[in-house]
Amino acid sequence: MPSRENESIQLLQGTLDLIVLRTLDSMGSQHAYQIASRLEQVSGSLLNLNQGTLYPALVRLEQYGWIKGTWGKTENNREAKYYAITRAGQKALGEETQRWRRMAGLVEKLLVEEF
Amino acid sequence: MKDLRRILLRFLSLFTNSRAEAELDREIAAHLQLLEDDFLGQGMTPKEAHRAARRTYGGVEQVKQLHRDERAFQGLATITMDIRHTLRQLRKSPGFTLTAILMLAFGIGATTAVFSIVEGVLLRPLPFDDPDRLVVLGDNLVGSHWTRPTVTPPDVRNYMRDTHSFLHLGGYQRIGRELSGDGDPVHIFATRMSGEIFSTLATAPLMGRWFTQQEDEQHQPVVVLSYAMWRNRFHGDEKILGTKILLDRQPYLVIGIMPRDFEFPLVPGHLNSSELWVPLSLRPEEFTAGYAASWNFRMVGRLKPGVTPAQAQRDAQLVAEETMKNYPGFMRSLRIQSQVTLLHEDTVMQARPLVRTLLIAVTTVLLIACANLAGLLLVRSIRRRREIAVRLALGARPGMLLRQALVESLVLSVAGGLVGLAFAGACIRIGTSLLPETLPRIREISLDWPVVGFALALAILTGLVCGLAPAFAAIRTSVNDTLKEGGRTGTAGSGHGRLRSALVIAEIAVALVLLTASGLLLRSFEKMRQVDPGFRVDHTLTAYYVLPKERYATQSGVDNVTKDLLRSLRQLPGVKAAGTTSSRPGSGNNGGIAITVEGAVPRKDAELNMATVSLVQGDSFQALGIRLLRGRVFMESDKADSQLVAIVNRKLAEHYWPGDNPLGKRVRRGMPETPTPWLTVVGVVDDVKLGSADGETAEQFYQPATQQAISEGAFAPAGELTGTYGCIVLHTGTPPEQLENPLLAAVRKIDPQLPLVDMQTMESVISESEAPRLFNTVLISSFAMIALLLAVLGIYSVIAFSIALREQELAIRMALGCQRKGILHLVLTSAVKLGAIGCLLGLLTSTAVSHLLRTFLFGVSPFDPLVLMLSAVAMLSFALAASALPAMRAANINPIIALRGD
Repeated sequence: MPSRENESIQLLQGTLDLIVLRTLDSMGSQHAYQIASRLEQVSGSLLNLNQGTLYPALVRLEQYGWIKGTWGKTENNREAKYYAITRAGQKALGEETQRWRRMAGLVEKLLVEEF
Repeated sequence: MKDLRRILLRFLSLFTNSRAEAELDREIAAHLQLLEDDFLGQGMTPKEAHRAARRTYGGVEQVKQLHRDERAFQGLATITMDIRHTLRQLRKSPGFTLTAILMLAFGIGATTAVFSIVEGVLLRPLPFDDPDRLVVLGDNLVGSHWTRPTVTPPDVRNYMRDTHSFLHLGGYQRIGRELSGDGDPVHIFATRMSGEIFSTLATAPLMGRWFTQQEDEQHQPVVVLSYAMWRNRFHGDEKILGTKILLDRQPYLVIGIMPRDFEFPLVPGHLNSSELWVPLSLRPEEFTAGYAASWNFRMVGRLKPGVTPAQAQRDAQLVAEETMKNYPGFMRSLRIQSQVTLLHEDTVMQARPLVRTLLIAVTTVLLIACANLAGLLLVRSIRRRREIAVRLALGARPGMLLRQALVESLVLSVAGGLVGLAFAGACIRIGTSLLPETLPRIREISLDWPVVGFALALAILTGLVCGLAPAFAAIRTSVNDTLKEGGRTGTAGSGHGRLRSALVIAEIAVALVLLTASGLLLRSFEKMRQVDPGFRVDHTLTAYYVLPKERYATQSGVDNVTKDLLRSLRQLPGVKAAGTTSSRPGSGNNGGIAITVEGAVPRKDAELNMATVSLVQGDSFQALGIRLLRGRVFMESDKADSQLVAIVNRKLAEHYWPGDNPLGKRVRRGMPETPTPWLTVVGVVDDVKLGSADGETAEQFYQPATQQAISEGAFAPAGELTGTYGCIVLHTGTPPEQLENPLLAAVRKIDPQLPLVDMQTMESVISESEAPRLFNTVLISSFAMIALLLAVLGIYSVIAFSIALREQELAIRMALGCQRKGILHLVLTSAVKLGAIGCLLGLLTSTAVSHLLRTFLFGVSPFDPLVLMLSAVAMLSFALAASALPAMRAANINPIIALRGD
């Protein structure tokens, strides 16, 4: 019998962008693998994503000018592309967080009132 | 803001695709490496770690595709891919590419150049405000067959005073004036016009002001200069305003300068456009006698809002009825009809047939170019049938192949269009310098943006049309059959083959139409050169002079200076005969006057008896080399107070006195009711072409200039002087150019201020009169040559490609014992068959469109058998020649190599 906890969540449109931005904002510059690991760690494998799924979000955010990628070295001297949040990205994160909270609050209210 | 940035980046990413792909590859590789490192660290074997890393990462190719979709506009990306693919393909076959592009460049370039000219002449609005309200008002004199409506001085007054349909309306007349005082005296072209015309045209002066209607009526001596006159004669000096210049030795106050683009009247021929404008200021005598019956003025007006030209014409007709009621007795039989036409119509009228012909020629060339391109693409798609079949078999969607075929032809046609535009730019430069001056507003013709738009639209349309047929042929390819054939491609008799043949036939037919047109025009030109003009062309020098009224105010003054002039001209070394005439042959017919012939039955159909009169002095018949057929020429004794005499030409004599001796018969100027004295015919001369040799021969008569005033009777204005102007004609024993300076010197000696106008040898007068026909002929012939070249190219390419396709079939034939001669025969027969059908169709089309050409022909029937036959034979031999090269190549196929090939 599968438990409820093991069911993975379908990611809402646009939420991945917000999560990536938030991660980069709190953790500093990270490469794609680190971001993916962080996601898995936080969600407790609730978010069952292939790590490659991050890539479209990264290119989108980079084109918005919210993050910026530069090549660097890991502590094991492997090369990796590190993404850092930009000033515009931080501003956008603030706005997006606000928006998300309002939206979540609204949904929550609706769900509560329905019962 | 962020979306805008992203759209831009997604678009730009299309062009940095390979770099982004490399970056993505690198990033994914790095990511996988890190995953692998971690899994290794967890104690997996390298192999397991590798597999686990991939599993965790997910499908690499899917991620790449997602990344691409996110990164750039993929719809556009495929098109850029298609374009890259096409460019690669085209680079691989430079012969095909170059042929196709040059062919289209030819077609589109010629079309664009001519469209620019059509646009410049027909479609461009007049250089005045609200030009759709500008009209020309004039009379049609019933029975005169004048082509452009004109008015008399009383008409100008009456129409201006009594019509109600015009906001502004004024009259004008083009005149020549002697400009002197500052530098050498020169003869200039000027226009006298009502002050109202300025309000009509509504163009502000560059500097100063225009004269008013009031100044016009008060006969103020004021003048407005053209920009060119101001720059050239007065060096652009603004201080010229307020000073006086001498016109016909009378002072005129300069009050304004017009802007550079102002041109009025918009006359055919910009070389003699007006250099200055003076008030019309009609003199009292211009309302009387002969002046009142001289339709030498024109009128232009601006319609009131809401009034149509037809309404204005009815309004004007009422005024005309009133004018006719007040005609003096000697004009009572004249009938006029008012006519109102748009100024634009009036201006472009003369250029229209030429422009239309050009358009047809150009469309033809473009059609041939398109057919060629379509043929080339078709053959190409057949050659690539196997490639297409393989791609279809591998799962390419037909839509994709169709798109690629379309992209290919679009790339070709856009490239052709761009090269064509450059070509057109050059053509317009050359073309406008070659065009006859009768094209109005020729200076405004240039390659401009609407034209560029037209060319590109044309290029794209051509691409779509030419791309569709081969594209559909490509997707109709049956994979199975093509692949089963194992490369034994292109046997005759397929649907493609028929389409190809149809294209070749159409090309030959269309090219033949142009070829016959050019042949007919060439024959017309030759016929015109053969026409006997009726006067000597070589060893003749001519120049006009006008004696200004202010200096030569009395008849005796005029007579004395004329006598002096003729005497000193005769004494010039190398001059065999000298005289003057009022109308120089070959320079144009001035329209003629009404005459009455003694004993002739008055015509019931209201037609007037028209004849052209020339006033001569000195030995003008000998100087011009006009042959005397009967009687005598004029003599010194034919004076103002002796018997009034006339010499008529053969055509006039045969019209009124057929089979009778014209000598002693009598004619007079004017209508039967006009009180004019009779002139006795003393001689008959041969017909002379007054205009160009391909024009009509007019009925003509000659009078001694001294008898002009008396012969005009009631028409003669009071105080009219005779013999005040003329064209000096010298018959020289030496080359006429050598006498130009002695002639000038002789005239200077008699009156240092008198300018000579338009000094030319008769040879150059004639070549000028031939220029418009020469132009038409050269133009159509060059189009015919382009068409022929394109058609030959088309035939060659289609036959060459077909033979390349049939290589194996021909090799098999040869292996089975067919002689090389047989192969040659086989190919040439098919070419001749196509050529013959094409020629037949072409001849039929030529006869069908012959009516379009008829107005341009002279002395040649549009069905001239010689021309039709020669063009067809020429076309056929060109078709044969075009296929000879591929045929020879086919005959030299090495069957062993050809059969081993696939």
